[in-house]
Amino acid sequence: MRDVAIVGAGSTQFGRSQWSLLKLMCEASNEALGDASLGDRRIDAVYVANMGSVRNNRQAGLASALVDRLNVFPAAAETIENGPASGASAVKHGVQAVASGMCDLVLVCGGERMQEVNAFESTEFVSYLSHRYAEYVYGVTLPALAGLFARLYMERHGIRPEHLAMVAIKNHANGARNPRAHLQTPVTMEGILTGPDAFMNNPFIADPLRFFDCCPVSDGASAVLLAPAEMAGELARTPVRVAGIGQATDCQAVHERPDPAELPAVRLAAQRAFAMAGIEPSGVDVAELHDAFTILEIAESEEAGFFGRGEAAGALERGETRIDGRLPINPSGGLKARGHPVGNTGVSQIVELVRQLRGEAGNYQVPGDPRHGFALNFGGFGNNVLATVLERGV
Amino acid sequence: MAGTVDAARCRSCGRLSYPTHFYCPACHCRDFDPVPIEGEGTLLTWTRVYALPLDYAQLYLTLGIVELDMGVRAMGRLDIDEPVTGARVRATVGVVREIGGREVEGLVFGTA
Repeated sequence: MRDVAIVGAGSTQFGRSQWSLLKLMCEASNEALGDASLGDRRIDAVYVANMGSVRNNRQAGLASALVDRLNVFPAAAETIENGPASGASAVKHGVQAVASGMCDLVLVCGGERMQEVNAFESTEFVSYLSHRYAEYVYGVTLPALAGLFARLYMERHGIRPEHLAMVAIKNHANGARNPRAHLQTPVTMEGILTGPDAFMNNPFIADPLRFFDCCPVSDGASAVLLAPAEMAGELARTPVRVAGIGQATDCQAVHERPDPAELPAVRLAAQRAFAMAGIEPSGVDVAELHDAFTILEIAESEEAGFFGRGEAAGALERGETRIDGRLPINPSGGLKARGHPVGNTGVSQIVELVRQLRGEAGNYQVPGDPRHGFALNFGGFGNNVLATVLERGV
Repeated sequence: MAGTVDAARCRSCGRLSYPTHFYCPACHCRDFDPVPIEGEGTLLTWTRVYALPLDYAQLYLTLGIVELDMGVRAMGRLDIDEPVTGARVRATVGVVREIGGREVEGLVFGTA
């Protein structure tokens, strides 16, 4: 297997976009292609990550359409739908294509345009991830699964609503420093939890989770360009090596898991990625976790091995996961503030880590020349999870 | 007349599963007998959802996961005003959603 490097990265603004899905994807791809010194080299393959284009945007065969708009014929093209983990899945397939020697230059683009439909429709299409007969028929949504999980996890590990709010406050503060974030407004404990108007500002969405515990519904696209590590020096000033990828699956119906308060696919995916990269969780300098709900950042940071069980709340209290903390988590704002265009998110996380490892993250740059980045992309409600470890240099 | 929501008992190893699988999660056999989900259980966790998907006219839905005494867990709608984890509940079957104009039945849990 060849080592694979990221030699170009790009993304759009996140939020509500006036652009079509393909326009979003073209702009992100254009930035990633322009970021590398390609010369007259041709793209061998395009992998697209998306979850909802057939239902929300009336477009199937998205990768073929992107190749057409970008005029990169006759590149191979595939669309990958793996729920909210589509992004990291597409990156994984791109890495495999380059590592195997079948391809040299691979473009991976994740895009989602969710605001083309109303809130009921977007909640509905994401709820298709749930078990058709044991969950969906009850009106189960992703926030509902997160609410059920949150109550269990909070009761078992002594996590209070304040801890959930600390995640939201941190990630909103980070998003306010990221010019491409969907939400760039800081929030305070008084405003969302303890003040007189807090519960007007922050109503329940899926008790015990409130509005500010949930990510927004976003449009956006991100792209990375992959190449063999031996070519990376000619293509990029600061290549970033894909050091490890791990993936694991779990029961689709959350109630059927041996312990519904645990996320074993997160644990396994992270262990596999760390093993492939040859580092420990303590070797990670910056992490982008899948905080579609605040409780998930807490649970994932423990399952991935950054903190012992029940210790993430204390780390939050001590500010250890802030941009200037011991382990910055979601310096981009995470899904909570950067936004969550579902099928795109895994690619966004990788793009954000590339910016951090190159020292190009501007106002939200993690200090201390970070060398190792970790991304966790959480599909379904934890039934298909990918972890990726990146390393600066090749 | 309400129907049943069925778990599956493996004919080879006796393992009870819900929802059903193509292969038994315990022994990989693929012959099962249906076993109606019924009786009492304990509420493991619950949520009240205010952001609803399509097809719902009400303000919120109350959902929970129940550990049934018969030996499986199940998701269902809670017909309980103030749910508390650990509460004893009883399973019934009722209409839980209308999909494409067709009423779909499922588990509804009330206070035991």
